[in-house]
Amino acid sequence: MSTILGLTLRGTRALCVEVEAEVTGGLFAITIVGLPDASVREARERVRAALRTVEIPLRGRVTVNLAPADIPKEGALLDLPLAVALACRTGAIDEVPPALFMGELALDGRLRRVRGAVPAALLARTMGLPLFVPLENVPEVALVEGVVAYGVPDLPALFAHLRGEAELSPVASCEIPEHEAEPDPDMADVKGQFQAKRGLEIAAAGHHNIFLVGSPGSGKTMLARALRGILPPLSKEDFMEVLLVRSTLGVAVEDGRRPPYRAVHHTATLPAICGGGSGLRPGEISRAHRGVLFLDEFPEFPRDLVEALRQPLEDGEIVVSRASGSVTYPSRVLLVAAANPCPCGNDGDPSEPCRCSASERERYARRLSGPILDRIDLYVSVPRLTPEELVAVEGHGAESSADIRRRVTAARERQRERWTPLGFGCNAEVPEKLLRKELRLGGAERRFLEDAARRCRLSGRGLARILRVARTVADLEGADAVGTTHLAEALAYRQGGNAWTTGSRRFSS
Amino acid sequence: MSTSGALLGAEGEEEARRRLEAKGYRVLERNVRIGGAELDLVCRHGDEVVVVEVRTRSVGVLQPPEETVGPVKLRRLVRAGRSWVVSRGWRGPWRIDLVGFTVDRNGEWHESHLRDITAGMVCE
Repeated sequence: MSTILGLTLRGTRALCVEVEAEVTGGLFAITIVGLPDASVREARERVRAALRTVEIPLRGRVTVNLAPADIPKEGALLDLPLAVALACRTGAIDEVPPALFMGELALDGRLRRVRGAVPAALLARTMGLPLFVPLENVPEVALVEGVVAYGVPDLPALFAHLRGEAELSPVASCEIPEHEAEPDPDMADVKGQFQAKRGLEIAAAGHHNIFLVGSPGSGKTMLARALRGILPPLSKEDFMEVLLVRSTLGVAVEDGRRPPYRAVHHTATLPAICGGGSGLRPGEISRAHRGVLFLDEFPEFPRDLVEALRQPLEDGEIVVSRASGSVTYPSRVLLVAAANPCPCGNDGDPSEPCRCSASERERYARRLSGPILDRIDLYVSVPRLTPEELVAVEGHGAESSADIRRRVTAARERQRERWTPLGFGCNAEVPEKLLRKELRLGGAERRFLEDAARRCRLSGRGLARILRVARTVADLEGADAVGTTHLAEALAYRQGGNAWTTGSRRFSS
Repeated sequence: MSTSGALLGAEGEEEARRRLEAKGYRVLERNVRIGGAELDLVCRHGDEVVVVEVRTRSVGVLQPPEETVGPVKLRRLVRAGRSWVVSRGWRGPWRIDLVGFTVDRNGEWHESHLRDITAGMVCE
């Protein structure tokens, strides 16, 4: 009995699967046991056709067992180990050295790209075994250090390699591509909106979630897209986390170190955003891990969906639990929410009057619960541009994304130095207690805060958020201590949100 | 079936035997009535037993011979083949082939040999 190793995916983890094959006399039939899903069961047609191209006819009753028997096996990636096990069983190849095989077979024996090559490479590395993957998966596998892998173009090439006739060359590991994409759009191309740009800079620097409130056509979407361009490039560890999610989904590596950006429409379903569905796939929030998740028309999102975002935003990971099992995906995203100030969208706009009744506005504001608004540190109003600003020549006095990114990167660096010994990465992650201890506010700053708390009726959590944002503002400036000016700016970004939290109607700060 | 049809059928089986033997098949039995059906030819090919169903049509009939074997006939063949295998004590692999002949107006025989016609079927 021959035993060949394949694998199946469980979240972002690959699990080793033993493939055993047995052939007895009788009319031709293939039976696959060991909890195969539909795509594994269909493998028998592909495997049979592919084996015929290398002149290995399958005859008699073939039984394939996938062990361990209690784990559901999914995906076409088991085609290759199945083919190798059957070739081995029929004596077409004698000895197969221990190795992991993955790949989907085409009817003509070619190998097709599969999802999950990076989890597979990590598994191969921990098991200390070589990995055979489809040629098209080589770019992602090459990014995993310390794994011995071979890119297989088709079945004949693999069998020649296993018989020792023609060696496949191992995958050469390569560095993370430093591909610098042009920011699109560049901050310099965004006209006006200096306050919003400043808000985005702070959001990027401290990894604060941000809420853009503005009339239709004021450029909220454009600003959110521009945020991607001012985020610092992904670190090596972050890149590997992003790569793992992308590989699990079967999306190609293309962006290099550029942080992900995902814009989600409000008709998206809960499993599409949080993960789930068949095979417990990661959702948009995990695809946006270490990058930007943009939710336009935030109040239009169904309430249960918005509430479901609370926990992953807080913890940086999401547990997807279903009857078939539970998996954990990363979800450390920078949330950018956007909304109109009121249902008609004109509230606070001097040029057009708002047509909404008080009750309409009230209902609109109530759609968002306090707890989710509590996760958002910055509220920025994005007013409609004045005619002068609209007509003005492009880039007039505006900074480029590259310049802003330099400041943001420096601020992130300062945060890392400060928080890494305590186990955190940036200001937004730090718990309130530690933050207060670190800030060591002076007398003037304390008095300013007391005054603000009294006048703005700040809650404890609201105050903590102001401190957090103020810390980032100071980091951007390169200041060690948080001063009154930093606190004042942070307070301004808090004020914008008042309308949502208290139900009052003014957004322009 | 008319007499000419039956005659053509018998002729086809004889033609199939000749051509298969030329290909290295060894005919074990012919026209076996077993398990509720008739097996036209039972051959040995390499280490496999091959149950051959022969279909002959003269030109002018719209359906090509291969298409005249439907799922019901196929199931019957599988059942009969199984009975044969059991009664003769064969333990190795076996398969069902279809040999179709079309006889054109000049009396020439055109062959189509389909191997292992149950391969895509789920046989339980």
